[in-house]
Amino acid sequence: SSESGLDSRVIFSSDSHASDYPTVMATREMGRLLSERTEGRLGIKVFQGGQLGSERDTMEIMTMGGIDMGRINIAPFNAIAPLSIVPVLPFLFKDVAHSRRVFDGAPGRKVLDSFEQYGIKGLVYYDCGSRNFYGSRGPIKTPDDLAGMKLRVQNSDVSVAMIDALGADATPMYIGEVYQSLVQGVIDGGENNWPTYFTERHHEVAPYFTRSQHVMTPDMMVMSLHRWNSLSEDDQVILMECAEASVLYMRELWDAKVLASQEAALAAGVQVNDVDDITQFSDLMRPIWDRFATSNDQKQLIEEIEAMRDVET
Amino acid sequence: MELAILIGVLLILMALGVPVAFALLGSAIATFIALDFPLQVVFHRMAAGMSLFTLMAIPFFIFAGDLMYRAGIADRLVRVADACFGRSRGGLGQVTVGASMMFGAVSGSAIASASAMGSALGPLMKEQGYDGDYAVNVTSTAAIVGLLIPPSHNMIVYAASAGKGVSVGDLFLAGIVPGVLTGILLMVVAWLVAVKRGYPKGKFPGWEQFTRAFVWAIPGLMTAIIIMGGILSGMFTPTESSAIAVIYTIAIGLFVYRSLDLKTFLECAQQSVRVTAMIMMIVAAASAFGYAVAILEAPTHLANMITSLTSHPIGVLLIVNLLLLILGTFMDMSPLIVITTPIFLPLVMAAGVDPTHFGIIMMINLGIGLVTPPVGAVLFVGSAVGKVPIEKTIKTIWPFYLALVIALLFITFVPALSMTLPNMLG
Amino acid sequence: MITLARKFTKQASEALIVVGTFGLLLMTAIIGWQVFGRYVLGASPNWSEQAAVTLMIWYISFAAAAGVREGFHIRIQAIESFVSVKMVFALRRFSEFVVGAIGLCMAVYGVKLCIATWHFDIPSLGFSRGMGFLAIPISGALIAIFSIVRLLEATFSNEVSEEEKA
Ligand code: NA
Ligand code: NA
Repeated sequence: SSESGLDSRVIFSSDSHASDYPTVMATREMGRLLSERTEGRLGIKVFQGGQLGSERDTMEIMTMGGIDMGRINIAPFNAIAPLSIVPVLPFLFKDVAHSRRVFDGAPGRKVLDSFEQYGIKGLVYYDCGSRNFYGSRGPIKTPDDLAGMKLRVQNSDVSVAMIDALGADATPMYIGEVYQSLVQGVIDGGENNWPTYFTERHHEVAPYFTRSQHVMTPDMMVMSLHRWNSLSEDDQVILMECAEASVLYMRELWDAKVLASQEAALAAGVQVNDVDDITQFSDLMRPIWDRFATSNDQKQLIEEIEAMRDVET
Repeated sequence: MELAILIGVLLILMALGVPVAFALLGSAIATFIALDFPLQVVFHRMAAGMSLFTLMAIPFFIFAGDLMYRAGIADRLVRVADACFGRSRGGLGQVTVGASMMFGAVSGSAIASASAMGSALGPLMKEQGYDGDYAVNVTSTAAIVGLLIPPSHNMIVYAASAGKGVSVGDLFLAGIVPGVLTGILLMVVAWLVAVKRGYPKGKFPGWEQFTRAFVWAIPGLMTAIIIMGGILSGMFTPTESSAIAVIYTIAIGLFVYRSLDLKTFLECAQQSVRVTAMIMMIVAAASAFGYAVAILEAPTHLANMITSLTSHPIGVLLIVNLLLLILGTFMDMSPLIVITTPIFLPLVMAAGVDPTHFGIIMMINLGIGLVTPPVGAVLFVGSAVGKVPIEKTIKTIWPFYLALVIALLFITFVPALSMTLPNMLG
Repeated sequence: MITLARKFTKQASEALIVVGTFGLLLMTAIIGWQVFGRYVLGASPNWSEQAAVTLMIWYISFAAAAGVREGFHIRIQAIESFVSVKMVFALRRFSEFVVGAIGLCMAVYGVKLCIATWHFDIPSLGFSRGMGFLAIPISGALIAIFSIVRLLEATFSNEVSEEEKA
């Protein structure tokens, strides 16, 4: 509504990452484009570093319209929107290219649109690559190599179930404690993306990295419906275009970051390997998919995503 | 504009005597209306603000502190202090400071310390011819030492307000040396004043009495070891250690000192619930207020104002200390921590101050505020327990203020006092 | 009528403190159990943290409402030593009015908060965020009622209430 001044006020956006993180830089780029294309009528102010609260907090606040926009991982949405569980399922995507086809395509849109009944307009995915296993004992090539390993996971039911199904011992732990726990042998490994693996220095104490690409939990740019609806239709179109443009920018930064940390880790002596046969792992995941994706909508979404495995766009 | 509403409404409501928690909520509500944010967010922030795991240590430490007093742990510590410091001229002054340091090491609350020491030592001092104002001055200012010596629920409030990167364990370690330093300075002042007023000397009760007093106090002093040892070894989180302190104190009161009965216990629990509600309601309201502060980038604006005056670290620290001292005269400690930490911390960090060090500066600075009128909870408790009107005590309290301000300056400008222990052990 | 309301609200606030005491003791037991579970049973319960944290919203909100009736909330009284008795009376009523209005706000928007989060799961607990937040509107309604009663009893009764004598 124009009388409230919402349509002209700068858009407040939150992010728990630091100022130089690709998602934060991409949000700033999105703001630059937006302000350029609306001749300064609209802009984005980024509150990075978690100034406005944890991701769960900002998500809940956003459903009520208490913050305009934000970069939030898909995991917190699991507690509110059932469809959001599907992209979190392990061994669902063949590779990063597959995941990007899905996020940019109809299945990705479907998940974003499912947030609308909770007061959130899903804009775009800032996908953050794949998570991979790493450990201190030796290369992980088959599920047998994981047997009995104590593996650190994020504190989520899906992650714990995945590790248990693979025969390892899931240990949920705060990321800051992982390095020391690897040193002391409290855990034997973990799973993460290249940049976190390297910046947290886990490569120093767990130098065997397996390109398992087992989970591709994406970040998302979402907006409060309250604020979205206050924009004119023209402005909504412009904002969406700017968001999409920022995705390309974000991916460039992200891919460069992955490459840089990968090279640095290799230079530091990390040994990388592929798994022998991915189906040995993914076959063990069926019970988990069935346990967490119970509704027909969720099952259908899985089928749609699987159908895009080999489709080149 | 919204920033003016935020600050204006807060100051007006507080000045007119609206309870601080509601003044904070009122200000947040007014600002949210101006920003066209839905008001349920105010209460979402409020509920989230009172339901943090780390903040659970606040009710536990308050409860434990009150239990320690009623279970007789305070009395036993006084006997130890008496055996250690009672011999000098005006010895009971030293005894008070020493006992406060020991009680501070087991209790997380300065108010519990002031009331425990006041009740245990006040009558004794009167008996031996000490003036009432002296007794209140010593017990109130010595209680501030307990804010610095771990555990300290205000350090937990600070860690929660400072956000990521400030650990309660580090803060606890950082407070030890400054706490002892402040205690020593207060002992010197207590001695000087006692000599000037010609107070009597105590006499040493003999080694046997000393040993007996010490042995009896061991179960109480163990609390300190359980809390600090538990946190430092990684056995417990600070929150868990505070709950363990409660359970341990109940056990001592029931089975060792046999001083707790069900009635006292329930009274104590009820009183702790009241104090907890008082503090946590402010913390919760400040969380809603803090959301508005963050959205409006108030810290940046204030930082720009201060750095336009000076950007030299010493200048920044002096200005921040001065502002906190002024605010501390008319506001209580916990609300000030939650309101001002997000504002001042980025500023002093930009000037190169470690956030753990700044936490200790805040403890002593706002601790001074607890013993200054017009709003000084510890001074009020001290003079209520000592049955001396505040007007009378504040006429003679200034040497003790001086000791605290000297301690503040040392703590502010010698970071090593705070940072050596956490750097070594943290 | 006012005497009745006063009696009722006094009992209500005492009951709230009792409920709050129960909450504090239960919270102590839960965290004690968490530590016991970790070191003695070899596994800490996964519900204890969320349960204790949610419990805290409930008992603090209730005790805070009792605090409005009992008048124990921290406030700055400095101005009262500089103004007339009449003015002090007016300031106290203004404060009660503001607290009551905020209580009403808490009740109304607290309900909206609960509705908005009613279907959001709390991980590892069997109930939703909205149910956890329910203490906010209940406490808000109580705060509003307590403030109105205090306002009325001060305005319409000649005797000075106990809190004001203190
Ligand atoms: Na202490
Ligand atoms: Na003061």
